[in-house]
Amino acid sequence: MKDNEQKFSLPLLPEPRTVRICFHKTGRLQFISHLDLQRTFARVLVRAGLPIWYSKGFNPHIKMVFALPLPVGVESECELLDIRVEREMSDAEILRRLNEELTDELRAVAAYPAERKFSEIAFAEYDCEIRSPLIHADAESAVRSLLEGETLPAMKKTKSGEKEINLLDAVLRYAVRAEEGALYLSLTLMSGEGGTVSPELVLRTLAARAGILTGDPMRESYRALRRRLLLSDGVTEFH
Amino acid sequence: MNEKVAALLKSVTKPGRYSGGEYGEVQKDKHAVSARFAFAFPDTYEIGMSNLGMRILYGALNARPDIWCERVFAPWVDMQEKMREYGVPLFAHESGDPVREFDILGFTLQYEMCYTTVLQMLRLAGIPIRAAERGEEDPIVIGGGPCTYNPEPVADFFDCFSIGEGEENLVEFAELLIKMKKEGGFTREKFLREAAKIEGIYVPSLYDVAYHDDGTIACVTPRFPDVPRTVKKRIMPDMDKAFFPEKVVMPYIETVHDRIMLEVYRGCIRGCRFCQAGMIYRPVREKTPEVLQKQARTLYDATGYEEISLTSLSISDYTRLEELTCGLLEWTDRNMVSLSLPSLRVDSFGEELMKKVASVRSSSLTFAPEAGTQRLRDVINKNVTEADLMHAVNVAYGGGKTAVKLYFMEGLPTETADDLAGIAELASRVVDEYYRGPYRQKGRSPQVTISVSCFIPKPFTPFQWEAQDTMEMLAEKQAYLGSKVTDRHVRYTHHDARVSRIEAVLARGNRRLAAALELAADEGFCFDAWDEFFDYDRWLSVFARTGIDPAFFANRAMGLDEILPWDIIDCGVTKEFFKRERARAYAGKTTPNCREQCSGCGANRLGGVRVCCPAGCKEKK
Repeated sequence: MKDNEQKFSLPLLPEPRTVRICFHKTGRLQFISHLDLQRTFARVLVRAGLPIWYSKGFNPHIKMVFALPLPVGVESECELLDIRVEREMSDAEILRRLNEELTDELRAVAAYPAERKFSEIAFAEYDCEIRSPLIHADAESAVRSLLEGETLPAMKKTKSGEKEINLLDAVLRYAVRAEEGALYLSLTLMSGEGGTVSPELVLRTLAARAGILTGDPMRESYRALRRRLLLSDGVTEFH
Repeated sequence: MNEKVAALLKSVTKPGRYSGGEYGEVQKDKHAVSARFAFAFPDTYEIGMSNLGMRILYGALNARPDIWCERVFAPWVDMQEKMREYGVPLFAHESGDPVREFDILGFTLQYEMCYTTVLQMLRLAGIPIRAAERGEEDPIVIGGGPCTYNPEPVADFFDCFSIGEGEENLVEFAELLIKMKKEGGFTREKFLREAAKIEGIYVPSLYDVAYHDDGTIACVTPRFPDVPRTVKKRIMPDMDKAFFPEKVVMPYIETVHDRIMLEVYRGCIRGCRFCQAGMIYRPVREKTPEVLQKQARTLYDATGYEEISLTSLSISDYTRLEELTCGLLEWTDRNMVSLSLPSLRVDSFGEELMKKVASVRSSSLTFAPEAGTQRLRDVINKNVTEADLMHAVNVAYGGGKTAVKLYFMEGLPTETADDLAGIAELASRVVDEYYRGPYRQKGRSPQVTISVSCFIPKPFTPFQWEAQDTMEMLAEKQAYLGSKVTDRHVRYTHHDARVSRIEAVLARGNRRLAAALELAADEGFCFDAWDEFFDYDRWLSVFARTGIDPAFFANRAMGLDEILPWDIIDCGVTKEFFKRERARAYAGKTTPNCREQCSGCGANRLGGVRVCCPAGCKEKK
């Protein structure tokens, strides 16, 4: 039986401390929206008995900042969340406690002092996979020529409706490989305050233009996994 | 997760309803258990996951190592369409396995309007909707929940029902199935015959119902001598010892009640004459504050929820509420947890309680006077006065609340135009009370909302025999009341009378309704509890084509000596009590609450620990 009251006996810090949590969100958890994830974490932090700092004021609440909201349907191995604690607890202990309250598909992998600001994130790297009976070896060159072309127009949903964008403006790097029935894509996409493009939009657009979709969800699937976050140099990993 | 289900999730709304994988879900090895129980809630995930009963029974069944209970919800219409298109049958949440492979499929029937959803779920599962057409490979389909106090309208679709509280009953039921399957020679027929011997299990196929020419019931006959004539509901006698789930499934997506629900007691001492819940959950059985404290803390540590709701039919009637709330506030405040007390009665709402709920963010408070005049409040035995209400709203205003919501009913027995006008007048006086007191604040004005529902005569109430007003009468009354609401601080809303009428038909129906429900299922009815899917004219058409007169069930005063469809069920409270209460209603006489005086309802025959009944009281002869 755990005792979450224990946290009140830990020594208070002079100032609340920001701890960065790196976590995976994979498998079935890809279907959980960002808003639902925020609510989930608020409860996980409480269950874990962390000495969470609450905002002062009429309606005290837990302060949480996520690096880059993950679209529904995309998995990730590099999600970042900043929390604030007001009492002494080591990063290792925070990590241990969190994982007792999480599942395999939502797993914390590191806890450490936050150094860089989330606003420095400029790119995200994704591993993607499309499976369809219409994919043959020639799909590789088809997709490559689309990515090497001048424009790849797509409709992007925005707050004020839809607008047409050129997806190639958002692709920094790519690698593509196809085999019978499967296409593998590595994409480094613009992600951050300068603008964000969802890998799903790129995948769907490429697949539609290359004519590799059947339209039957039982015969085809796609998967996208966010692997790393990068700084504006497009090389240095953001932690 | 089932791969076929996963394939559909990228193209439906709210995929989190189906994806599972929640913290706290129970996974077992299906080959290592002896019985697989699919516990189905015939509505969306968000609604089902808010149901306390489901959480308790999920825990109670899974506490047995040889039983694996999984959850099943009704897929939303877009998902249903895809499932049909790609041949994906109804699946269980934890394993993703088709529900049809399970040993037992249980439906909790919380409201009558879910019946069409139940039938669609059976169809999606590939299980014949009529019990008589199911084969040995199909699961045993059992129903439970408040609607099973009159299970007759859906009797043809269920193999059996669990009547009353299911914590022990369902486990015994599953154990019998395990035992008979192990011994060999299990057949549905043999099993159901045996199951009917478990107290609280009703097997409708073991009874023949004969009707008079006028459509009323002539007799109900057990088909075998060892089949009980009536089925007595089950209760958990000692609530301190009743199963309590210490581990809770935490939904990722937002549910209707996203908070701790702490069940403080069962039953109700009040005896409002329209209220089914107040009768069928008798006798009152309280938990002790000591146990509740522990349970609240356990739930908080297991969930991390920021709100604890003390749930019971009328929370302020809990004898040790002060002690309980004080104890909770000792740790909830410093953990930023707020307390909420729904179902407050106006006669018990004072400053003390107000302070305790002050931390709740909502600026509104809700009270239920139910009727607009004292005369009618006496008829329905509401036992609150206008002075009580005015006191309560003063406390609310004093606590900084400006919005007050008042619940009323229209179409109550003996109602007159004065009673309806009385609703509008009472609401205006509640507004006046704000301006009379020292509550004026710049830029704020009181807002009183009156929400008026339609009276539905429900089985096992003193008003079970009453005729519901016709649609025309209800519409006329709604318009009349609307014309009486002239105060600009009063907002008037009312329920859809058409829904209430269908609900009355389904609530007081008999087995002959099966034909209509089956036709409704054939025509794709589903989610009738949702406004956007309820279609009154289609219901009328279905009734007409199956030879059913909805007025016979909804708008007919039933005879006091008539055999009622639900007479097969013994809910503890006797028919004699209901008759006495009905007579008192017509005489405008109130009945004291159970704590003041025992009125001999009969429920104390069922036993129970920490019941409300005064010591030594006996049932009146």
